[in-house]
Amino acid sequence: MTGLGAFLRFEVLRLLRNPRYVAITLGFPVVFYGLFLHSLEPAVHLAGTTWNTYFMVSMASFGAVVAALNAGGTRLAAERASGWTRQLSVTPLPAWSYVTTKIAASMVIALPVICVVEMTGLLVGGVSLGLGTWVVLTAVLWAGTLPFVVLGVLVGFVASSETAYPLVTALMFLLSFFGGLFTPVADMPTVLRHVAAFLPSYHGASLGWAVVAGHGPGLRDASILLVYALVLGLAVIWRHRAEESRAFA
Amino acid sequence: MNLRPDPTRPHDADDGPAVRFSSVVHRYRSLVALDHVDLEVARGETLALLGPNGAGKSTAISILLGLQRAQEGTVSVLGTDPRAAMASGKVGAMLQVGGGSGLPHGVKVGELVKMTSRLYRRPAPVERTLARAGLTDLADRQTQRLSGGQAQRVRFALAIAGNPDLVFLDEPTVAMDVEGRRTFWAMMRGFAGEGRTVLFATHHLDEADAVADRIVVLRRGAVVANGAASTIKATVATRRLRFVSKGADPARLRELDGVDAVSVRGSEVVLDSLDADATVRSLVISGVAFSDIEVTGADLEQAFVALTCDLAEVRTVDDVIAAQAPVTRSGTAV
Repeated sequence: MTGLGAFLRFEVLRLLRNPRYVAITLGFPVVFYGLFLHSLEPAVHLAGTTWNTYFMVSMASFGAVVAALNAGGTRLAAERASGWTRQLSVTPLPAWSYVTTKIAASMVIALPVICVVEMTGLLVGGVSLGLGTWVVLTAVLWAGTLPFVVLGVLVGFVASSETAYPLVTALMFLLSFFGGLFTPVADMPTVLRHVAAFLPSYHGASLGWAVVAGHGPGLRDASILLVYALVLGLAVIWRHRAEESRAFA
Repeated sequence: MNLRPDPTRPHDADDGPAVRFSSVVHRYRSLVALDHVDLEVARGETLALLGPNGAGKSTAISILLGLQRAQEGTVSVLGTDPRAAMASGKVGAMLQVGGGSGLPHGVKVGELVKMTSRLYRRPAPVERTLARAGLTDLADRQTQRLSGGQAQRVRFALAIAGNPDLVFLDEPTVAMDVEGRRTFWAMMRGFAGEGRTVLFATHHLDEADAVADRIVVLRRGAVVANGAASTIKATVATRRLRFVSKGADPARLRELDGVDAVSVRGSEVVLDSLDADATVRSLVISGVAFSDIEVTGADLEQAFVALTCDLAEVRTVDDVIAAQAPVTRSGTAV
């Protein structure tokens, strides 16, 4: 198992050292938070909390989605194309560990992104929460990242190295806009509100919105996210198997 | 040759051959990729695996490395199942890559070799692996800044990082220049000299001739030759006649007894003949003026061509390689 630890560390370090990746995953949510914080009065009440807090949760979710999709999708597609995945398949690493390590590395990288956006909320947005709320908020947002991490890996298996980047970018913005991360869902037209109710991005942020509003995280949101993670996970397993059996056929 | 393992023999992982294929059959739908292949590689042996594309090489390799299971027959690697052998960390491999470098980006060469060596139970020291692959000076280089030949050396380093007992190399010198190839094989001889088993596939037949203890040639899923280079050359009846003749007519030379192929370059004539004596006799009778005649035996390239090709289709080894080169690069050939 020392091998797995070394491989995970290697994957996380490679992500952290990629300036474009760090700029996108940290830059986007932090800059958008600064830009749109004053689109409403920060202290205006909204969904049981205030806009500065609500939007901090939205952008932390957005950051996690960006981190997850970019970590898996683009790089995995490139590594499949370069032959690195094939080289790894002839090491003692078990076949399942490439995918699980990718998922673990994406999860590891999403946590600091959530924390940085929360710090921005605290320092720039004037967000004030109890210590316990901060901890629970971070935990639920982080757990809610799992379906996006798996989705990122799936994109990496489905897309080619040329199509992965545009696909990831499109998914990232579609999920965020229609999931209500930029415009509160309550302010959306009825049709879009129904669309949002289907999207994991909405339910991921909902976990956090409920926490800052003083409710517990929603069981329904959590169940929907879990179903998404499972279904996407099955799709990843299916693509992974298909690719393995095709490698030499 | 019957290589079926004797079930009464005690199972000893360190005693048997490094690799054993017994009556291995593998099909892709109606296409038979391996047709009752028997093959043994002794421990410490260096073996070259040759064969045109579609001969079953890739399938044999993928089974050997545990990436596929043989549909029929038995395969053992280092005394155990191929997957178990790979998982044990005693096997290293360098595969062909498609268009890419085969390496992940955003990492230094030294770090990549170090991480890979940690995947193995008893790895070689990282410095030694880097030195062996000629990478000591490139240890701090980012992988995306390597040339094709350098990336290939890194992939070789990854194959040996785990201090393997058995190493498999698929076209290890394909992106190297002549000097790079020479250095590579000099180092490889030292590596094999430590009692390791080395299997390699190549299109450079001179490499197989110079480096391998033994050569196995596959054709259409079957072993068509198996022996030392000299033995394989001797199996081919072809002799090569060279002489000087001004204004020789190739069509007329083609009519001579025993002649199989004709090549005329200016006044230099080369005939490949299946019966050199008959060819010389009919050459004399034909009245064609010639001088400086020389008759030589087949080289490994000619032997390879004779063993693997229908003579009517392909004349030289260059044709074989030209015909299969694009398929080889795609990495999806059977």
